[in-house]
Amino acid sequence: MPKLTIDGIEVEVAPGTSVLQACEQLGIEVPRFCYHERLSVPANCRMCLVEVERSPKPVASCAMPAGEGMVVKTNTDTVHKARKGVMEFLLINHPLDCPICDQGGECDLQDQAVSYGYDRGRYEENKRAVTDKYMGPLIRTYMTRCIQCTRCIRFVDEIAGVPALGGLARGEHLEITPALEAGVNSELSGNLVDVCPVGALTSKPYAYNARPWELRKTESIDVMDAVGSNIRVDARGGEVLRVLPRLHEDVNEEWISDKTRYAIDGLKRQRLDRPYVRGADGKLKPATWAEAFAAIKTRLANVPGNKIAGITGDLVDVESVVALKDLLTGLGSANMDCRQDGAQFDTSNRAGYIFNSGIAGIENADVVLLIGTNPRWEAPLVNARIRKTYLTGKLKKVAVVGQNFDLTYPTQFLGNSGSVLSALADGSHPFVETLKAAKNPLIILGAGALRRGDGLAVQAAARAIAETVGAVREDWNGFNVLHLAAGRVGALDAGFLPGPGGRDLAGILAGAQSGEIEAVYLLGADEIDGAKLGKAFVIYQGHHGDRGAHRADVILPGAAYTEKNATYVNTEGRVQHARFATFPLGEAREDWKILRALSGELGQALGYDTLGQLRQRMAQANPVFATLDRLVPAVWGPFGQAGTVADAHFASPIENFYMTDPISRASQTMAQCTEAFLKPALPAAAAE
Amino acid sequence: MFETLAQLWDQLPLIIRIVASILVIAVPLLIGMAMLTYFERKVMAAMQLRQGPAMVGPFGLLQPFADGLKLLGKETVIPAGANRVVFVAAPMLTFLLALVAWAVIPFGAGLVLADINVGVLYLFAISSLGVYGIIMAGWASNSKYAFLGGLRAAAQMVSYEVSIGLVIITVLLCVGSLNLSKIVEAQKTVWFFIPLFPMFIIFFISALAETNRAPFDLPEGESELSGGFNVEYSSMTFALFFLGEYINMILMSAMTSVLFLGGWLPPLDIAPLNWIPGPLWFIFKICFCLFCFIWVRATLPRYRYDQLMRLGWKVFLPFSLIWVVLTAGVLVYFDLLPN
Amino acid sequence: MALLDRTARGLFLVELVKGMALTFSYMFRPRATINYPYERGPISPRFRGEHALRRYPNGEERCIACKLCEAICPALAITIEAEPREDGSRRTTRYDIDMTKCIYCGLCQEACPVDAIVEGPNLEFATETREELFYNKDKLLANGDRWEAQIAANLAADAPYR
Repeated sequence: MPKLTIDGIEVEVAPGTSVLQACEQLGIEVPRFCYHERLSVPANCRMCLVEVERSPKPVASCAMPAGEGMVVKTNTDTVHKARKGVMEFLLINHPLDCPICDQGGECDLQDQAVSYGYDRGRYEENKRAVTDKYMGPLIRTYMTRCIQCTRCIRFVDEIAGVPALGGLARGEHLEITPALEAGVNSELSGNLVDVCPVGALTSKPYAYNARPWELRKTESIDVMDAVGSNIRVDARGGEVLRVLPRLHEDVNEEWISDKTRYAIDGLKRQRLDRPYVRGADGKLKPATWAEAFAAIKTRLANVPGNKIAGITGDLVDVESVVALKDLLTGLGSANMDCRQDGAQFDTSNRAGYIFNSGIAGIENADVVLLIGTNPRWEAPLVNARIRKTYLTGKLKKVAVVGQNFDLTYPTQFLGNSGSVLSALADGSHPFVETLKAAKNPLIILGAGALRRGDGLAVQAAARAIAETVGAVREDWNGFNVLHLAAGRVGALDAGFLPGPGGRDLAGILAGAQSGEIEAVYLLGADEIDGAKLGKAFVIYQGHHGDRGAHRADVILPGAAYTEKNATYVNTEGRVQHARFATFPLGEAREDWKILRALSGELGQALGYDTLGQLRQRMAQANPVFATLDRLVPAVWGPFGQAGTVADAHFASPIENFYMTDPISRASQTMAQCTEAFLKPALPAAAAE
Repeated sequence: MFETLAQLWDQLPLIIRIVASILVIAVPLLIGMAMLTYFERKVMAAMQLRQGPAMVGPFGLLQPFADGLKLLGKETVIPAGANRVVFVAAPMLTFLLALVAWAVIPFGAGLVLADINVGVLYLFAISSLGVYGIIMAGWASNSKYAFLGGLRAAAQMVSYEVSIGLVIITVLLCVGSLNLSKIVEAQKTVWFFIPLFPMFIIFFISALAETNRAPFDLPEGESELSGGFNVEYSSMTFALFFLGEYINMILMSAMTSVLFLGGWLPPLDIAPLNWIPGPLWFIFKICFCLFCFIWVRATLPRYRYDQLMRLGWKVFLPFSLIWVVLTAGVLVYFDLLPN
Repeated sequence: MALLDRTARGLFLVELVKGMALTFSYMFRPRATINYPYERGPISPRFRGEHALRRYPNGEERCIACKLCEAICPALAITIEAEPREDGSRRTTRYDIDMTKCIYCGLCQEACPVDAIVEGPNLEFATETREELFYNKDKLLANGDRWEAQIAANLAADAPYR
């Protein structure tokens, strides 16, 4: 534990801590460009110079390990002079185009130039100009502004794991160049914009749209995948202009996936902004709320409760799920299912459907077994966490059962068929020994693997593996289910599942075909084939005119995740609150309020009128909702249903990373990404 | 030529002659009043280093007519709580009284509509009646401001009439007749403002108070009464007050000229001064007095009400009384009493 | 003596006469005012009148949508929306000034890095309706075209003091 003195204050730091980090521990700010706490340290910007006693020159604090007895000064004339010199050199080639730069107002260089810049340039020669590079439809480049900190190169190499960027030439002529000029094909490429300390890499869809000071910032939660990334929603007027990551060490660190960041233009398109009722001619006609409610009331008047069913979708918040559950229960229906993808698994034990180890827990694992999942697409941040652990050297081996994808780290492919899983479960597979030998084995069971007809058996097999290899101990629970939908765990926790005698999804669909189910309430459920709903009366409540709305007889416009105060539970079972950033479009309303109003119309008034009352009801339904941003360890117990795992291959649940839900399907940016990255055969993308 | 015209005139029926004579006085008077408003604004502007009206017609000469048309085109608003009859009658009365007084004003030798032998009394009576129009307006408006304005006007006009009366008495003592033409004739040798200079000043100041002009414009008192007795008036009813007020100004100027400045007489009965016709001299003198009215307005701030009363009762009244006695004494002692 | 002096002054209305003489003398002094629509006073090059958006001599609009004017406007009178133009340059799609909110402080022209938004010499832009005072980009550019010569001359005149 080296002890050193910084600006006269003595501090003891962990071995290996750099001087810069030691300064930060004391709250002393050291300017920097190239240094980033989650990236390696190249020490090439020289901005973080500090004076160290008995050192002839100022030293770069980011790369200097704190040593015993060091005396560091960060606030002397020498330091200021040195930093001013560095700043002047940096500004030699940096263009003076802050007014047209999108980074203006949130630019590290701009901020630090205020402290260390000189008010006029002494440089008379021509400035360096660099041709802009193509980095895909998400990142706009303006390479003349680049100060060659190489944060972007290190980010794609280390975090994203896609060696798509590199530096060509050296010195002043160093240029950041994408390999093959083909764009940065990574799910995390949007983070380059945040990583870049200047305006060299900026967001393309957001280009020139707004200035940071114009935006209303709302801290919220992402719903594009089940990770529940912490985000900040920046809105101006009624429009969400961008989404930025928020620091949460246990969930997303400071990264978010591209879908989270860029799908928001889908919030402006294909929105349902008023109720619709299907007329006698079979066409949907705009209606008022009163007319829509009246249509529902009339149709449901003589329908017995057990002929009504409810299905919730992927983006639903716990509030509306609980409200719908209460409404259906009040109407006498037990036909409800939140697994619109048809997944089958045992929900009796919470440990059986959540990511028990927690996302941060991955960092403790030394062997990971992935079953039927592609974390790179299903949860890019989980994948980034696995890669991070792999890079530390702690993670020895990652094995895959299922489709073999490039996961940005080496994997051992065990096979793609159900028989491999059976073999692992009964201990006959050689890899079991590796797992057994591991200190903290981790099993990630993809939601795709549970979609098969034998989901219960798959789940049981995975549990068997976990129990055999010692992945479930007092101090370690390595059994993880990786969900795809942000609303899923919340709905499962809320118990939106078939009640006693109720039908599950398959039962509902079958009933709808045969006429035994007369009315289906789709709460944001868009992944259901409309034809399978037969002649049932379909009420769709959601925010996008997607598949569900096409089949609907009555459409009730709801609010998207940026438009309501809502509770989401991520795949770890972490309860988080998304916050209201903009008003719902047009006539649309918050979902639980719609259900509350409808319940009144139907004579089954729900017992809550405010969000507070509703949240009390939620906490009553499941105490976990009363916790916030906390992992409640699930009690391990038996779940699943032992059976034979069919030999069929595990199919990837996601065909297109960029389009997985109504919002991203409506997004133009996501469509461009699909064009650019998922149809690489098209040369047009590179030539753009 | 003049004789034939005069014969023609004598042959006309009396009623036509009367109407024509009235028109000959009233029409120029109204035009003069209009020009007076213009003149006032221009002189005030000059003294305040401003331009004054300059946009309507050449040098803004048509401004008063534009104002008149504007007032004519407006709606007559009668407040809901007002006594309609009195409310409407008040401006008419004011205007009427202002015009009627002109019957006895001599414009030249023999040029007078009614050469009555109690002309001064008549004038005094008519100008005293003027207060009724204002009181009626103030009362009928059913408004606090108007009522206060009316009260102030009544008290003020009554107070200053006392000293005016005494001033007139001194003049009458010197003339020995109540006929205005005789008064003018009596100034052939010397205009009365020279021997009776203090009385002239008192008369002029009292005339300011009598016509509610600055610095004694308390009945209007914009700053405290927001317009005073005529606050509720609009359109033509207001215009009539306005007309009445300005014609009264001209009337008081005419009285000043007749009583102190020798009426239609030239300053010295020598050529070329006596080439100018008498009525023109009379108009010059009226104009001079009007200029003084405006000049005072441009110079002095408004009096406080108690100051106004103090001046009227405690300064002017004793002073003019003393002067009456003094004049009478001098006249008797030196045996200068006329006839 | 002083009493006598004061009494004499009061009796002979000395102060009054002095005052009257003063106002009378003012009649002959030069007017402080001018006959406005026909005569005009001089206007400083720094005069802050009606806003205008300028163009470069080649016709390209100067404004680059940096939004600094919008940010500095103390009356929040400026509204800007921007997006990349077809040629990729940063341009406004909307530049509105609510002239009824504007306090004519001139901070917008101080903030502008390219001298695009300026407060021109025009002070006669009264309108008959309130709506006409909500200036949009077209109106502001038209103003710029109309007043460019004078604006440029004013900027040149003031340049040495900046």
